[in-house]
Amino acid sequence: MRWKLFADLAEAAGGRELAVDADGADTVGEALDALLDAHPALAARVLDEEGELRPHVNLLRNGEDVHETEGLATPVDADDELALFPPVSGG
Amino acid sequence: MQALSVVGPGTGPLLDPLAARLDGRVATVRRDESAAPDTAAGPADAAFDLSPDGGWRASGTDDSFDALLDRLAPEYDYALVAGFSRLRLPTVVVGDREVAGDVLERVDDAAELDADALAARLDDAEPHVTLETLVDRVTASPEADRAGAIATFTGRVRAKDSPDDDRTTHLAFEKYEGVAADRMARIERELTDREGVLEVEMAHRVGIVPDGEDIVFVVVLAGHRREAFRAVEDGIDRLKAEVPIFKKETTTDEEFWVHDRA
Repeated sequence: MRWKLFADLAEAAGGRELAVDADGADTVGEALDALLDAHPALAARVLDEEGELRPHVNLLRNGEDVHETEGLATPVDADDELALFPPVSGG
Repeated sequence: MQALSVVGPGTGPLLDPLAARLDGRVATVRRDESAAPDTAAGPADAAFDLSPDGGWRASGTDDSFDALLDRLAPEYDYALVAGFSRLRLPTVVVGDREVAGDVLERVDDAAELDADALAARLDDAEPHVTLETLVDRVTASPEADRAGAIATFTGRVRAKDSPDDDRTTHLAFEKYEGVAADRMARIERELTDREGVLEVEMAHRVGIVPDGEDIVFVVVLAGHRREAFRAVEDGIDRLKAEVPIFKKETTTDEEFWVHDRA
């Protein structure tokens, strides 16, 4: 699975573009678990105390916000591009 | 305008073969150690020699490099620059010289550089866009006959929010390539669908932007002023809320991601 990370999340993971082995992942949530297992420093930034994705953290699958589809239950394919980033701050 | 800086021994002669391979209007800028620029224009600040067939030559003393680049941007599709290492432009380097811009390629010898490959890569580099570039673009609209208004917004780096703040020295922007462009295009399209709004163009710079310099532009061509003002305001508000761009602020005292302080 290919991940793109931005801003402080890229700094925490030590890279902007990561390939994460997540062969068995059927959903965005499972792919996220694989990413956080491989880069534990990210977990504290993107998950709240209950282990849920923080509401202000954006997760995109092929450019589409998963909050607008099925959330972490959104299905994934091995060649998808997933992206994780904090609130946007352009301008 | 796509700009490329080449730095290091033997790079000056690259400009002409590279220019010949580019499709569009090309400006070349070379460092000229031999000229005495303070006398070239005589007592005037700038002198222009224009021939009857439209050929011209200019000399002057009052242009910084940044001002020159901004002046070229609306008129030329490409600017090729040789001999300046401190430019924040996509840069090709021969040798181990440190440069301020993003290094596209670094080689030991100018002979290793391939003009065809460089010309192809230049089109993918971040373009140098100015407010005037966008104003020219909207006024070229086929619907310009119905336009009575151009409204623009320019966002720039604020050194201080209040007088006793630490000075912000620069901001560094990163962008989710592709997705940022798609979302900006969607905002432009939705604003253009409004009654009376004819054209909308937006551009946001990436990389390091020092205090006082421009960051973002929104330009609207409209039938009348009210829809122009509204579309400009909504355009910049939506860009700030929806487009995946991130900024890190550096002040004289510290460095932080702006979303962490919001």
